[in-house]
Amino acid sequence: MTNIIVACPQCKYQMSVQGNPGERIELICPKCKIYGFFQFPEESSTAPTEDVIVVKNLTKYYGKIKGIEDLTFSVRKGEIFGFLGPNGAGKTTTIRTLLGYLHPTNGEAYILGKNIAHNIVNIKRDVGYIPGELNLYGHLTGRQFLDYFGSLRNKQLPLLTDLLQIFDVPLDRKIKGYSRGMKQKLGIIQAFMDDPDIVIMDEPTSGLDPLLQQKFYDFLRGQKKKGKTIFFSSHVLSEVDKICDRIGIIRNGKLVALEDVETLKEKMGKLFRVKIKERPEKFTGPKNMKVRDGLIEFVTSGDIDYWVKQLSHYTILDLEIHAFSLEDIFIHYYEGQA
Amino acid sequence: MNNIFRLKIALQTMKDYWKITIILTFLFMAMAAMYAGMFPSFEKSLIEMMDSEFIESFNFFPHADQMHTYVGFLTLELYNIFWLLLLAIMFGFIASSCIAKEIEGKTIDILMSNPVSRKQIVLEKFMGLIPMIIIINFSMMVVIIGITVALNESLNYVNLLVVHLISIPYFLAVISIGLLFSAIIDDKMKSSIFMIAILIGMFIINSISLMASDYEVLGFFSFLHYFDTFNVLEFGEIDGAGLVVFISVTVICLIGAIVYFEKRDIEIT
Repeated sequence: MTNIIVACPQCKYQMSVQGNPGERIELICPKCKIYGFFQFPEESSTAPTEDVIVVKNLTKYYGKIKGIEDLTFSVRKGEIFGFLGPNGAGKTTTIRTLLGYLHPTNGEAYILGKNIAHNIVNIKRDVGYIPGELNLYGHLTGRQFLDYFGSLRNKQLPLLTDLLQIFDVPLDRKIKGYSRGMKQKLGIIQAFMDDPDIVIMDEPTSGLDPLLQQKFYDFLRGQKKKGKTIFFSSHVLSEVDKICDRIGIIRNGKLVALEDVETLKEKMGKLFRVKIKERPEKFTGPKNMKVRDGLIEFVTSGDIDYWVKQLSHYTILDLEIHAFSLEDIFIHYYEGQA
Repeated sequence: MNNIFRLKIALQTMKDYWKITIILTFLFMAMAAMYAGMFPSFEKSLIEMMDSEFIESFNFFPHADQMHTYVGFLTLELYNIFWLLLLAIMFGFIASSCIAKEIEGKTIDILMSNPVSRKQIVLEKFMGLIPMIIIINFSMMVVIIGITVALNESLNYVNLLVVHLISIPYFLAVISIGLLFSAIIDDKMKSSIFMIAILIGMFIINSISLMASDYEVLGFFSFLHYFDTFNVLEFGEIDGAGLVVFISVTVICLIGAIVYFEKRDIEIT
């Protein structure tokens, strides 16, 4: 049984109606007494926000060494999802397990509704990938490489011309003569050229100069507008802050945060940085208070008023209150880590 | 599923080895021309040297007693060493590095980002090496025919064709062992060294089994035991068991390579 609020078509009076999905019921408006039928909507088979990548308890051990443990998260259609973590946290392992290079020790994952364990070749028809350690065939020219990969995709390459314009590479030179940035550009071109529904990227902007990074972000936003999903790992927080809708933070192979970038920032509270004339130790702040270079630092959520009033008993030389940047959040999650 | 019949990886493999194919073709053509062409100048002294002691000292080669005949000379100098051993080492070397180098060079990541299965990669790499075998194989046959005609020696050309036809399953067996190593060992040098060790090992085993009759049974573990080029060239004898061995080794190694490659993790470190 579900409850639905229905508005009377004549007097707009709102009434609560109870029924089963698909059921047709008789209604009389209690206000204007108009008589009619109401049809409950069928239960939709797809969730309103479709998850295109679903990861359930994914675990990968390399023998006894932990790669990732018990990862559970999902990526929604049309979002840019940032996967954060320092080097060695398990970002690459996650991506390589998702794409079938590594067989999971435990757990499962679905991409576009297909199980990665049984359907990986089919999945790759609709998924592009830029590896973290991008190695291309040095003995081929850029053009030969794209021709070869085009033939392996075996489908139309609607974005190829556009991409070649944005990310200009010397197509007739052998790839072994390419600079790191050029290789990265070619990697981007091959991943997006057939306009796949999802693109998974492992630190895609490494090697790109700031101008190209900007062009790349613009391109990603364009893809997002078309309903394409982007999943990428990074440790460049400014870029994540700029383009990601949601982030997952991974530490020691485990997911420690999974949130909307904005919500996460709000939840983290405000950062106080105060300099007082008195000795900093005299001030008793919240538990997380620290004194660094004579500056008092602490984090508080919500009760700004209280702390400002507490501080008013001292002589304030400098005061800074600001929202958490992604970098602060990141450091927060990693502090105290061995 | 239709992807596997388009053979794009096989085609690319063929293109990648195109230069090597041409170089090896000319090298082995030159080698064949040289050895076959040398026979007249050696013939006389060989006939004189053909006493039992001399033959005895060469008995680790099959049919050393026939060294003074054209067919015997060809078999001993050309087919046994340069063909069955050296060319097999070349093919084995190439095959045993062809998947390993993609993993070692980390290009496997970008290759597998395409909708291609692991099975398909192994099979197409295998198929991509076949044209090289066929080209080198038959171009050398043509050279032998040419030299034989020029020297006015007698040689049964049907038997010659049969030798080169049997060579195909022989080399296929070699490259399938190479591919199996290549699918298992990530380091292309290590994988190639294993392969070469096996081929030289087979050669040594065969020689031992020929020299010492106590160890004759060892010969069963060598490919060379199943491919007696002299008997084929001279008498047209085809070793059916040999063909069965080559084909079964090919099939078993290919299946092994596919199964292992499907199951393994592809790690890049």
